[in-house]
Amino acid sequence: MNMTGQPDPHSMDRPHRRSTALLPPGTLAGLLVAAVAALLVAIVSAQSSDSRAVTVRQLTHIVQVIDQAQQVVTTMKDAESGQRGFLLTGDTAYLEPYTAARSRYASELQELRALLPSDPQQRQRIDQLTELATAKFAELEESIALHRAGKADEALALVRSDRGKVIMDRFRVIATELERDERARFDARRAAWEAEAGTQRVVTWGGTAILLVLILGAGVLASRDYRLRERMSWIRTGENLLSSRLQGEQRLEGLGERVLSFLAHYLGAKVGAVYVHGDGEYYRRVAGHGLDATTLAEHMRPGEGLLGQAAKEGRSIRLTDVPEGYLPISSALGKAKPRELLVAPAIVDGEVHGVIELGLPRRVDDADQELLDRVTETLAIAIRSARERERREELLDETQRQAEELQAQQEELRVSNEELEEQGRALRESQARLEDQHSELEATNTQLEEQTQRLERQKRELVHAQEAISKNAEALERTNRYKSEFLANMSHELRTPLNSSLILAKLLADNAPGNMDDEQVRYARTIHASNNDLLTLINDILDLSKIEAGQVEIAAEPVNVEELLAQLRATFEPVAEHKKVELRIERALNAPATITTDRQRLQQVLRNLLSNALKFTDRGEVSMRVAQGRDGQVAFSVSDTGIGIPPEQQEVIFEAFRQADGTTSRKYGGTGLGLSISRELARLLGGQIRLESAPGKGSTFTLEIPVHHSKGTHRAVAVAPAAPMTAQAPRPANKPRAAVPHIEDDRNERSNPERLILVVEDDPHFARVLYDLAHELQFDCVHSTSGLEAIELARRLKPSGILLDVGLPDESGLTVLERIKRDPAIRHIPVHMVSVEDHTQAAMGMGAVGYALKPVAREDLVKAMRRLESRLQKRASKVLVVEDDQVLRDNIALLLAGDAVEITTVGTVKEALAKIGAEAFDCLVTDLQLPDASGYELLESLAADGRHAMLPVIIYTGRALTRDEEVRLRRYSKSIIIKGARSPERLLDEVTLFLHRVEANLSEDKRDILRRVRQRDEVFEGRKILLAEDDVRNIFALSRVLEPLGAQMEIARNGQEAVDRTRKGDIDLVLMDIMMPVKDGLTAIREIRARPDVEKLPIIAITAKAMADDRRQCIEAGANDYIAKPIDIDQLVSLCRVWMPK
Amino acid sequence: MDAQVGDLELRLLLEAVYVRYQHDFRHYAKASLRRRVRQAMDRFECPTVSRLQERVLHDADAFAGMLQYFTVQVSEMFRDPAYFLAIREKVVPVLATYPFVKIWVAGCSYGEEALSFAILLHEEGLLERSLIYATDINPEALRVAQAGVYALDRIAGFSTAYLRAGGKSSLADYYTAAYGNAVFERRLRGQIAYSDHSLATDNVFSEVELVSCRNVLIYFDRELQSRAIGLFHDALPPRGFLGIGSKESLRFSPHGDAFEEFERVERIYRKR
Repeated sequence: MNMTGQPDPHSMDRPHRRSTALLPPGTLAGLLVAAVAALLVAIVSAQSSDSRAVTVRQLTHIVQVIDQAQQVVTTMKDAESGQRGFLLTGDTAYLEPYTAARSRYASELQELRALLPSDPQQRQRIDQLTELATAKFAELEESIALHRAGKADEALALVRSDRGKVIMDRFRVIATELERDERARFDARRAAWEAEAGTQRVVTWGGTAILLVLILGAGVLASRDYRLRERMSWIRTGENLLSSRLQGEQRLEGLGERVLSFLAHYLGAKVGAVYVHGDGEYYRRVAGHGLDATTLAEHMRPGEGLLGQAAKEGRSIRLTDVPEGYLPISSALGKAKPRELLVAPAIVDGEVHGVIELGLPRRVDDADQELLDRVTETLAIAIRSARERERREELLDETQRQAEELQAQQEELRVSNEELEEQGRALRESQARLEDQHSELEATNTQLEEQTQRLERQKRELVHAQEAISKNAEALERTNRYKSEFLANMSHELRTPLNSSLILAKLLADNAPGNMDDEQVRYARTIHASNNDLLTLINDILDLSKIEAGQVEIAAEPVNVEELLAQLRATFEPVAEHKKVELRIERALNAPATITTDRQRLQQVLRNLLSNALKFTDRGEVSMRVAQGRDGQVAFSVSDTGIGIPPEQQEVIFEAFRQADGTTSRKYGGTGLGLSISRELARLLGGQIRLESAPGKGSTFTLEIPVHHSKGTHRAVAVAPAAPMTAQAPRPANKPRAAVPHIEDDRNERSNPERLILVVEDDPHFARVLYDLAHELQFDCVHSTSGLEAIELARRLKPSGILLDVGLPDESGLTVLERIKRDPAIRHIPVHMVSVEDHTQAAMGMGAVGYALKPVAREDLVKAMRRLESRLQKRASKVLVVEDDQVLRDNIALLLAGDAVEITTVGTVKEALAKIGAEAFDCLVTDLQLPDASGYELLESLAADGRHAMLPVIIYTGRALTRDEEVRLRRYSKSIIIKGARSPERLLDEVTLFLHRVEANLSEDKRDILRRVRQRDEVFEGRKILLAEDDVRNIFALSRVLEPLGAQMEIARNGQEAVDRTRKGDIDLVLMDIMMPVKDGLTAIREIRARPDVEKLPIIAITAKAMADDRRQCIEAGANDYIAKPIDIDQLVSLCRVWMPK
Repeated sequence: MDAQVGDLELRLLLEAVYVRYQHDFRHYAKASLRRRVRQAMDRFECPTVSRLQERVLHDADAFAGMLQYFTVQVSEMFRDPAYFLAIREKVVPVLATYPFVKIWVAGCSYGEEALSFAILLHEEGLLERSLIYATDINPEALRVAQAGVYALDRIAGFSTAYLRAGGKSSLADYYTAAYGNAVFERRLRGQIAYSDHSLATDNVFSEVELVSCRNVLIYFDRELQSRAIGLFHDALPPRGFLGIGSKESLRFSPHGDAFEEFERVERIYRKR
C-alpha cells in the first residue's frame, strides 16, 4: 500500500519565483569538479611532457656524448689500426684510416667537449683524453715517421714499448669511464623520465577516472532528469488529454464515462467504475467500464468496502492481491480477474466528491498512481462543477416547476372563477327570466281571474250541457250495448226455437207417414225454406258481429285453386242454368296453382260474390276469373251483366243492413249482410275487395288476397269503395336511414288523457295500423319515428306503454329500450318490442315486457297492447326471499314490504325450487350459503330449467366473493350485494329497480322466448368464445346474448388471463376489451398474434375509444375487427358470425 | 377585429389539432384556452396562433409539448381532505356492499387522486376487491402517474391532507423515500388501471360504482360538461356515486336531474 495524495497545504502559499540559476547546484558542482580535474590533468600532462622532452633531449645528448665518445675511441682505434697496418705492411694504403683519424680526432674530441656538459669530471676526462690522444698520435706519428724513415724496427720497437698501448689503454679507460658516467647519467635520466612518466600516467588515469566518474554521475543525473521529465510529461499529457476530454461535459454520467474510457485507454485498465457522492450518505455509480454491472453495487456508503474505505479516509488504496471475484473484468468472452486494483478518491478542497476504481492487468507503478492522483483531482473538480451545475439546474428546474405549478394553480383558480362567474351569470339569467315570468304571471293571473269567472259561468253551462250529453252518450252506449247483447241474445234465442222449427218443418215436408197432401207438403217445404233463410240471416248477423269483435281465427292451409273452382262450379252451375245465365269460372295462366289461405273463408267470400252476381243478373253472363294480382297477390274477379250499382250507392252496399236501394232486398231477397261479411273476411285474409260498376252495365267485384297468407297482413283500412281501394299491407319495417315524419297523431288533441300508447316505428303504414288499433282499444296514440324523439316524448307525455321497433333511423330500438330503462323518470313505462329482427333475448333481458316478431298478427298486436295495459293496472309483484337466517329473513321481508309487493320467504334451496315450480315470481333474492345446498346450485338448477331463466336474481350474501366467483355469479345475476352496514338500503334499491320491469304475465312469453332461443344459431353451436372483459355488466349482457345462441363463453378478466387462456388452443373466437387491468387488450392481442399457433384465431376488439385512430391501432395490433362501446348487440352477433371460423 | 382574428385562429388551431391528432379541445372553456395558447406561443416563440398551428401540425413533438400547456395539471394527494373524509365515511360503506368495486378517476393528471383512493380503500379493507381506472388525455401525465414517484418536498403536504382526510396510519407507511423522491407501493398501483381516455371523444368503457372527476369540468364548456356528465351517468349503476370539484356543479347540466345531492358541500352526488 502506498500513501499519496495529501496535497501540501503550503505549496500554494509560497511565492513561486522563477529561478535565475543556469544549472541546478548539484549539476554545477559536478561540472566544476570535472573542470578542475580536467585542468589538473592538462597541467600535469603538460608539465610531464615538458620534463620528458627535456629528459629526452638530455638522453639524446647523453647518447650523442656516448656515441661521440665511442666515435673518438673508434677514431683512435682506426688510427692505431692504420698505423699498425702500415707498420706491418708498410703500405701507405693502410695509413688511410690513420690519416682520416688524425684529421678528425681533434674535432671529434672538440665535439665531445662541446657535447659534454659542464661536468668538471668529464671535462677533465676530455682534457685527459685530448692529452692522451695527442700523446698517442704523437707516438703513432713517431712510429710512422720511423717506419717511413725506414726504421721499421724502431717503429716496431716503439710499438713494442707499450707506450702506445698504455696510452691507448688509458684512453680506453677514460673513454669507458666517460661513457660509463654518461651511461650512468643516462640511466639516472631515464629513471627520472620513467618516474616522470609514471607520475603522469597516474595523474592521467586519476583525472580520467575522476572525469569518468563525473560523466557517469552526469549521465545518471541526466537520465534521472529525463525520466522524471518523461513521467511528468506523460502525466501532464494525461492530465491535459483528460481535461480536454472533460471539456464541455456536464453530466455526471458523461464525466464518469469519459474519465473511465480515458483511463482505460491511457493506463490500460481493463475494468473500472466511477462513483459520485450523491445527496446524503451514498455514493452513486455513474459509470462503469468493462464492468459486470451485477457484481458491483449501484450505490455504496462511505466506509463500506474498499471504495468506501477510500472515500472515507480520503486516500487512495492500491491492492496488489485482488481477491477472487472482486471487480472481475467482464466481456463477451467471459470474466477475468484484474492483477492490481487502484482505488482513488476524487478530492478537492479536502472534500471527497467521488471515488474511482480501476483494475489493471499489470503491475501498477508510481506514475500510474500519480496520474490517477492528479486525475482524480481534475475529476473531483469536474464532478464538483457538474454537481453544482446540476444543483443549479435542479434549482432552476425547481423554480421553473414551481412557477409552472403556480401558473397551473392560477389557471385553475381563474378557470374556477370563470366557472363560478358563468354559473352566477346563468343564475342571474334564470333569475331575470324568473322575474319576467313572475310579472308576466301576475299580469296573466289577473287576466285569468277575469277569464276564470267567465269560464266558470261557461263551465256551469257546459256542465249542464255535458250532463245532458253524457246522459245521451250513456243512453247511446247503453243502446248500443243493448243492441249487441240483443243481437247476440236474439240470434241465440232465435236459433234455438228455429232449430226445432227447421227440424220439424223438414219432418213435415218429408211427409214420412204420407198423411199430408201435396199442398200441405209444399207449405211445409216453404216453412222449411223460410226457416233456412232466417237461419242464414241470423248466421250472417252472428258472423258479422263475430268478425267485428275480432273473434274469427284464420286457419291458413294450402288451397288448390282448380279444386276450389271446381267446387264453385258444382255449386253455382245449376243455379245459372236455372236462371238461363251463362257462368264461366276460369283460371288465368299466370295465376298460382296453389295458394295458402283459409279455405273456408275464401270460399265464403267467393260464394257470396257469385251468388250476389247471379242474384242480380237476369240475362247475359256471370264470370269468375282468377289471375295474378298486384304485389304478389291473387285476384278473384267476379263480373256480371246485371243491374249495376250507381256510384253514390257503391259506398253503402258494403255497409251492414243497407243495400243500394231500399227496395232491392225486397226484389232480390237476401239479408244484405253478405258484402259486409265478405269485406271483413277479405280483410282477415289480408286482402281487400274492389268494386267497379256502372248502373245497367253490370259490376265487377275483385277479391285480392295474398298468395301466401301470413299473420299480420290484414288490411287495416276499411274498403273505401269510391276511390280505388289501395290500402297497403304493412311491410316489415325495413331500415330507412333517413328520418321520416311521424303520422298525424293525438299529441295535440288527447281524448283519453290517462291512456296513451307511444308507437316508435319508422314505417308510417304500420304505424297507421298501430294507431288505428290503439284507438280501437280506447288508447290515444302518439307516433314517433326516431329513438331520440321517442325518449323525449316518453319523458314529456308519460305514456301508458310503448310499442318499440328495433330498426330505427337514428339508433337501435334496443338502445332506446336501454335508455328508457336507465332513465328513472320513464323506466317504469312498459315497453313492448315489435320488430322483424329477433332480439327477444336481449330485449327481455333489458326489461321489455314482450317481443312480437313482424309480420305480426293483429291479435298479437292487440295482445301486446293489452299487456301494456295490464301493466298499467298495478298488481302485487312477487318476490321470493331465500335466506336461512330466520331473523334476517324477516328483516328482509319487512324491508321490502310495500303495497305492491308480495313476499314469500323460504329457508332452503329445496323449498325455493318447490316454490318457484309452483308459482311465478318476479324477483328472487337469495343468499349464497344455504343449509341444504349453495346458492350456486339453486341458480344453476334454475338456469337449467328453461322456464325460470328470465327470473331476475339478486344475490344477497355475507361472503366476500373472489373475482372468479363473481364472474360465475354474474351469468345469473346482475346484482350482487355484500351484506354490510349499508346493504339493506342497496337491497331495497335493487329490488325496486327490478320490480319496475317485472312483467305482468311472464309464463307464456317466456316459453315463447325459450322456444326461439332453442333454435340455436348453428354458427355458434358448441363454439367457444373467449370474452376478455373486466366489466361485469358486459360479461352479463354478452353471456346472455351469446350463450343462448349455443356458444360457450369463457371469461378472462384481464389481458394476461386472455393470453394464457388462448394457449389451450380450443378457443374459436376472442372478444377482447381494450381497457383492462394488468395487461391491456392491445398488448394481449399483440402477444397472441406473436404466437404462430393462434395466428388465425379471430379477435374482435371492443373499445370505448371513438376515433378512427383507435380503430387503426386495434387492427394494427392484430385484431380482425373492431366494435365500439356501448355495444350494439346485433352488430356484435353479426360480427361474431362473420369471423367465426366455418 | 384583432380579437375576432384571434378567436378564428384559435378555432382553426383546435380544429387542426383535432383532425391531425384526434385530441378534441374544441369544447374547452375558451377564456382558459386562450391563456394557455398564449403561454404555448411564448414557449415556442411563435408570434401568432397561426404560426403555432403551423409548428404543431408539422412537428408531432411540438404537439406533445403543447399538450402540456393545453392540459392543466394541478393535483395533490387527498386534495380537499373533507371530500375524502366524506368518501371514507359515507360512500365506502355503500361501496362495500358490491362484490367488486370499480372507481373511475377521470382526468387523473399525475395520479395523486387515484393513489389517494387506493390508500383509502386499502385502509377500509376494500382494495383487494377494487379496481381504480385512472384516465387522462395527457400521455406524459399518465407516464408520471404510472411511475408513482413524487418529489419528496410535496409529501409533507400530502401527509397533512392524508391525516385530515381521516387517514388511519401514516402516509409514510405507503412510500419509500430516497434521493429526494418518494415512490408509492407497487401493490397500491397494482389495483389502478391507467389509461388514455378522452371525455370529449371516447365512450363509457366499464360500469363503475364511483366516478371522481374533480376540477376537470371547469375546463370544459357547457356542452362538453354535459357530455362528460352523460358519460358518468352511463357508467354508473343506479345509485352509483359521482364526485366533482368544489367549484363545479351539476345544476346547469341536462343530466342534473338524474342525480341527487348526497353530500352537498363535498359535491358528492348519487345517481337516482
